[in-house]
Amino acid sequence: MAIDTVTESDLDISQLVDKPWVTIVWDDPVNLMSYVTYVFVKLFGFTQEHAHELMMQVHNEGRAAVTTGSREEMERDVQRLHEHGLWATLQRDDKI
Amino acid sequence: MSEFTRSGGIYSLELSIDEAHILINLVEQLLELLGEGDFSHHYDESDPFAQLMAQLKAAPDEIAPPEDPVLLRLLPNAYADPEAAADFRRYTEPTLRGKKKRTLTQVREALAVIVDEDRGGVVEDLEGEIWLMAINDLRLALSVRLEINPESFDLFETLSDEDPQKPIYAVYFWLGWLQESLLNLLAGG
Repeated sequence: MAIDTVTESDLDISQLVDKPWVTIVWDDPVNLMSYVTYVFVKLFGFTQEHAHELMMQVHNEGRAAVTTGSREEMERDVQRLHEHGLWATLQRDDKI
Repeated sequence: MSEFTRSGGIYSLELSIDEAHILINLVEQLLELLGEGDFSHHYDESDPFAQLMAQLKAAPDEIAPPEDPVLLRLLPNAYADPEAAADFRRYTEPTLRGKKKRTLTQVREALAVIVDEDRGGVVEDLEGEIWLMAINDLRLALSVRLEINPESFDLFETLSDEDPQKPIYAVYFWLGWLQESLLNLLAGG
Protein backbone atom coordinates (compact mmCIF):
# COMPACT_ATOMS: atom_id res chain seq x y z
CA MET A 1 0.00 0.00 0.00
CA ALA A 2 1.36 3.35 -0.97
CA ILE A 3 1.70 5.77 1.84
CA ASP A 4 1.75 9.47 1.16
CA THR A 5 4.89 10.94 2.53
CA VAL A 6 5.67 14.50 3.26
CA THR A 7 9.12 15.74 2.46
CA GLU A 8 10.71 18.26 4.70
CA SER A 9 10.36 21.02 2.11
CA ASP A 10 6.59 20.57 2.10
CA LEU A 11 6.33 21.37 5.75
CA ASP A 12 5.50 24.88 6.77
CA ILE A 13 7.76 25.42 9.74
CA SER A 14 5.22 27.86 11.14
CA GLN A 15 2.85 24.97 11.75
CA LEU A 16 5.38 23.16 13.90
CA VAL A 17 6.14 25.86 16.39
CA ASP A 18 3.87 27.32 18.95
CA LYS A 19 4.00 31.07 18.41
CA PRO A 20 5.31 31.72 14.92
CA TRP A 21 3.67 35.06 14.08
CA VAL A 22 3.84 38.42 15.77
CA THR A 23 1.74 41.61 15.70
CA ILE A 24 3.81 44.80 15.55
CA VAL A 25 2.47 48.23 16.51
CA TRP A 26 4.37 51.17 14.98
CA ASP A 27 4.86 54.62 16.42
CA ASP A 28 3.01 57.56 14.91
CA PRO A 29 2.88 61.19 16.02
CA VAL A 30 -0.93 61.31 16.24
CA ASN A 31 -2.34 58.63 18.52
CA LEU A 32 -2.34 59.87 22.10
CA MET A 33 -0.16 57.86 24.49
CA SER A 34 -3.14 57.42 26.81
CA TYR A 35 -5.25 56.20 23.88
CA VAL A 36 -2.70 53.58 22.81
CA THR A 37 -2.50 52.26 26.38
CA TYR A 38 -6.29 52.22 26.60
CA VAL A 39 -6.62 50.23 23.35
CA PHE A 40 -4.03 47.65 24.49
CA VAL A 41 -5.96 47.06 27.72
CA LYS A 42 -9.31 46.93 25.93
CA LEU A 43 -8.32 44.60 23.09
CA PHE A 44 -5.85 42.28 24.77
CA GLY A 45 -6.83 42.42 28.42
CA PHE A 46 -3.33 43.51 29.45
CA THR A 47 -2.77 44.99 32.88
CA GLN A 48 -2.43 48.76 32.95
CA GLU A 49 1.29 48.34 33.72
CA HIS A 50 1.97 45.98 30.83
CA ALA A 51 -0.04 48.10 28.40
CA HIS A 52 1.86 51.21 29.52
CA GLU A 53 5.22 49.45 29.07
CA LEU A 54 4.32 48.37 25.53
CA MET A 55 3.06 51.85 24.68
CA MET A 56 6.36 53.35 25.93
CA GLN A 57 8.28 50.81 23.84
CA VAL A 58 6.32 51.87 20.75
CA HIS A 59 6.98 55.51 21.58
CA ASN A 60 10.70 55.18 22.36
CA GLU A 61 11.79 52.44 19.98
CA GLY A 62 9.38 53.13 17.14
CA ARG A 63 7.70 49.71 17.36
CA ALA A 64 6.75 46.94 19.73
CA ALA A 65 5.61 43.36 19.38
CA VAL A 66 2.30 43.30 21.22
CA THR A 67 0.95 39.78 20.63
CA THR A 68 2.21 36.45 19.29
CA GLY A 69 0.28 33.46 18.00
CA SER A 70 -0.92 31.79 14.84
CA ARG A 71 -1.16 33.72 11.61
CA GLU A 72 -4.95 33.74 11.84
CA GLU A 73 -4.86 35.06 15.39
CA MET A 74 -2.44 37.82 14.43
CA GLU A 75 -4.53 38.80 11.42
CA ARG A 76 -7.48 39.20 13.75
CA ASP A 77 -5.41 41.31 16.16
CA VAL A 78 -4.14 43.54 13.35
CA GLN A 79 -7.68 44.00 12.09
CA ARG A 80 -8.90 45.04 15.53
CA LEU A 81 -5.97 47.44 15.95
CA HIS A 82 -6.79 48.99 12.57
CA GLU A 83 -10.40 49.41 13.67
CA HIS A 84 -9.03 51.51 16.52
CA GLY A 85 -6.71 53.52 14.26
CA LEU A 86 -3.42 52.05 15.46
CA TRP A 87 -0.78 51.39 12.84
CA ALA A 88 -0.17 47.62 13.03
CA THR A 89 1.31 44.89 10.85
CA LEU A 90 1.96 41.19 11.28
CA GLN A 91 5.01 39.15 10.34
CA ARG A 92 6.73 35.91 11.12
CA ASP A 93 8.53 36.03 14.42
CA ASP A 94 12.10 35.93 13.07
CA LYS A 95 13.52 35.24 16.50
CA ILE A 96 12.41 31.63 16.15
CA MET B 1 -14.21 74.90 26.07
CA SER B 2 -16.35 71.80 25.75
CA GLU B 3 -15.47 68.52 27.33
CA PHE B 4 -17.11 65.17 27.91
CA THR B 5 -18.87 64.62 31.21
CA ARG B 6 -20.22 61.53 32.90
CA SER B 7 -23.00 61.26 35.38
CA GLY B 8 -24.27 57.95 36.67
CA GLY B 9 -22.63 56.06 33.80
CA ILE B 10 -24.18 58.36 31.17
CA TYR B 11 -21.77 60.23 28.90
CA SER B 12 -22.61 63.66 27.54
CA LEU B 13 -20.92 66.38 25.53
CA GLU B 14 -21.99 70.00 25.53
CA LEU B 15 -21.11 71.81 22.31
CA SER B 16 -21.52 75.34 21.03
CA ILE B 17 -23.24 75.59 17.66
CA ASP B 18 -19.88 76.35 16.01
CA GLU B 19 -18.25 73.30 17.58
CA ALA B 20 -21.18 71.09 16.58
CA HIS B 21 -20.94 72.35 12.99
CA ILE B 22 -17.20 71.74 12.84
CA LEU B 23 -17.60 68.21 14.14
CA ILE B 24 -20.48 67.17 11.91
CA ASN B 25 -18.78 68.61 8.82
CA LEU B 26 -15.60 66.65 9.54
CA VAL B 27 -17.59 63.49 10.19
CA GLU B 28 -19.52 63.86 6.94
CA GLN B 29 -16.38 64.55 4.91
CA LEU B 30 -14.73 61.46 6.29
CA LEU B 31 -17.86 59.41 5.63
CA GLU B 32 -17.83 60.56 2.01
CA LEU B 33 -14.19 59.66 1.68
CA LEU B 34 -14.82 56.20 3.13
CA GLY B 35 -17.85 55.77 0.88
CA GLU B 36 -15.89 55.95 -2.34
CA GLY B 37 -16.03 52.67 -4.20
CA ASP B 38 -18.18 51.15 -1.48
CA PHE B 39 -21.73 50.40 -2.47
CA SER B 40 -22.80 48.84 0.81
CA HIS B 41 -25.08 51.79 1.58
CA HIS B 42 -27.43 50.42 -1.06
CA TYR B 43 -28.07 47.48 1.25
CA ASP B 44 -28.80 46.79 4.85
CA GLU B 45 -25.22 46.34 6.00
CA SER B 46 -26.13 43.73 8.60
CA ASP B 47 -27.50 41.44 5.89
CA PRO B 48 -24.92 38.65 5.39
CA PHE B 49 -25.68 38.50 1.69
CA ALA B 50 -25.17 42.23 1.32
CA GLN B 51 -21.84 41.89 3.12
CA LEU B 52 -20.76 39.17 0.73
CA MET B 53 -21.88 41.23 -2.24
CA ALA B 54 -19.94 44.21 -0.94
CA GLN B 55 -16.81 42.08 -0.71
CA LEU B 56 -17.25 40.67 -4.19
CA LYS B 57 -17.85 44.08 -5.65
CA ALA B 58 -14.98 45.64 -3.80
CA ALA B 59 -12.44 42.94 -4.42
CA PRO B 60 -11.29 43.70 -7.99
CA ASP B 61 -10.69 47.41 -7.35
CA GLU B 62 -9.41 47.31 -3.84
CA ILE B 63 -6.53 44.91 -3.97
CA ALA B 64 -4.33 47.94 -4.42
CA PRO B 65 -3.85 50.16 -1.37
CA PRO B 66 -6.00 53.33 -1.47
CA GLU B 67 -4.41 56.19 -3.36
CA ASP B 68 -5.73 58.81 -0.97
CA PRO B 69 -3.20 59.05 1.88
CA VAL B 70 -6.00 59.60 4.42
CA LEU B 71 -7.63 56.34 3.41
CA LEU B 72 -4.28 54.57 3.46
CA ARG B 73 -3.80 55.74 7.05
CA LEU B 74 -7.30 54.62 8.09
CA LEU B 75 -7.13 51.36 6.12
CA PRO B 76 -3.42 50.53 6.32
CA ASN B 77 -1.51 47.59 4.91
CA ALA B 78 -1.32 44.65 7.32
CA TYR B 79 1.83 43.18 5.77
CA ALA B 80 5.07 44.71 4.53
CA ASP B 81 4.95 42.26 1.62
CA PRO B 82 2.70 43.82 -1.08
CA GLU B 83 1.26 40.50 -2.20
CA ALA B 84 0.28 39.40 1.31
CA ALA B 85 -1.02 42.92 2.03
CA ALA B 86 -3.21 42.85 -1.10
CA ASP B 87 -4.57 39.43 -0.22
CA PHE B 88 -5.42 40.50 3.32
CA ARG B 89 -6.94 43.77 2.12
CA ARG B 90 -9.13 41.96 -0.39
CA TYR B 91 -10.87 39.97 2.34
CA THR B 92 -10.86 42.40 5.25
CA GLU B 93 -11.03 45.95 3.93
CA PRO B 94 -14.79 46.01 3.23
CA THR B 95 -15.42 44.96 6.84
CA LEU B 96 -13.00 47.53 8.27
CA ARG B 97 -14.41 50.26 6.04
CA GLY B 98 -17.96 49.30 7.04
CA LYS B 99 -17.15 49.42 10.76
CA LYS B 100 -15.58 52.85 10.47
CA LYS B 101 -18.57 54.11 8.51
CA ARG B 102 -21.02 52.76 11.10
CA THR B 103 -19.06 54.39 13.93
CA LEU B 104 -19.00 57.75 12.16
CA THR B 105 -22.65 57.47 11.16
CA GLN B 106 -23.65 56.94 14.78
CA VAL B 107 -21.78 60.10 15.80
CA ARG B 108 -23.24 62.03 12.86
CA GLU B 109 -26.79 61.10 13.87
CA ALA B 110 -26.22 62.20 17.47
CA LEU B 111 -24.75 65.52 16.30
CA ALA B 112 -27.54 66.07 13.76
CA VAL B 113 -30.06 66.32 16.60
CA ILE B 114 -28.57 69.59 17.80
CA VAL B 115 -27.21 70.86 14.46
CA ASP B 116 -30.56 70.53 12.70
CA GLU B 117 -32.12 72.82 15.26
CA ASP B 118 -29.32 75.30 14.57
CA ARG B 119 -28.35 75.64 18.17
CA GLY B 120 -25.65 74.50 20.51
CA GLY B 121 -26.55 71.95 23.09
CA VAL B 122 -25.80 68.77 24.91
CA VAL B 123 -25.28 65.48 23.07
CA GLU B 124 -26.81 63.23 25.69
CA ASP B 125 -26.38 59.56 26.47
CA LEU B 126 -23.67 59.10 23.86
CA GLU B 127 -21.67 55.90 23.48
CA GLY B 128 -18.21 56.70 24.81
CA GLU B 129 -16.38 53.93 22.95
CA ILE B 130 -17.94 54.91 19.63
CA TRP B 131 -17.08 58.58 20.08
CA LEU B 132 -13.55 57.70 21.15
CA MET B 133 -12.93 55.78 17.92
CA ALA B 134 -14.64 58.36 15.74
CA ILE B 135 -12.64 61.26 17.19
CA ASN B 136 -9.47 59.24 16.74
CA ASP B 137 -10.25 58.65 13.07
CA LEU B 138 -10.99 62.36 12.58
CA ARG B 139 -7.62 63.22 14.15
CA LEU B 140 -5.85 60.67 11.95
CA ALA B 141 -7.51 62.10 8.84
CA LEU B 142 -6.61 65.69 9.73
CA SER B 143 -3.07 64.67 10.67
CA VAL B 144 -2.44 63.34 7.17
CA ARG B 145 -3.71 66.56 5.58
CA LEU B 146 -1.66 68.70 8.01
CA GLU B 147 1.39 66.40 7.88
CA ILE B 148 1.46 66.31 11.67
CA ASN B 149 4.84 65.57 13.26
CA PRO B 150 6.24 65.96 16.77
CA GLU B 151 7.09 69.63 16.06
CA SER B 152 3.62 70.56 14.81
CA PHE B 153 2.40 72.17 18.03
CA ASP B 154 5.39 74.55 18.06
CA LEU B 155 4.68 75.40 14.42
CA PHE B 156 1.01 76.02 15.21
CA GLU B 157 1.94 78.47 17.94
CA THR B 158 4.13 80.50 15.58
CA LEU B 159 1.50 80.70 12.79
CA SER B 160 -0.07 84.12 12.32
CA ASP B 161 -3.81 84.39 12.83
CA GLU B 162 -4.20 85.12 9.10
CA ASP B 163 -2.63 81.82 8.10
CA PRO B 164 -5.35 79.71 6.44
CA GLN B 165 -3.91 76.56 8.04
CA LYS B 166 -4.21 77.94 11.55
CA PRO B 167 -7.92 77.14 12.13
CA ILE B 168 -7.35 73.58 10.87
CA TYR B 169 -4.48 73.08 13.30
CA ALA B 170 -6.68 74.54 16.02
CA VAL B 171 -9.40 71.99 15.30
CA TYR B 172 -6.83 69.17 15.26
CA PHE B 173 -5.48 70.10 18.69
CA TRP B 174 -8.98 70.72 20.04
CA LEU B 175 -9.98 67.18 18.99
CA GLY B 176 -6.94 65.81 20.84
CA TRP B 177 -7.98 67.68 23.95
CA LEU B 178 -11.57 66.44 23.55
CA GLN B 179 -10.38 62.87 23.12
CA GLU B 180 -8.22 63.12 26.22
CA SER B 181 -11.20 64.31 28.26
CA LEU B 182 -13.21 61.29 27.12
CA LEU B 183 -10.31 58.91 27.77
CA ASN B 184 -10.00 60.19 31.32
CA LEU B 185 -13.63 59.24 31.91
CA LEU B 186 -13.46 55.86 30.13
CA ALA B 187 -10.14 54.77 31.65
CA GLY B 188 -11.21 56.09 35.04
CA GLY B 189 -13.66 53.17 35.20
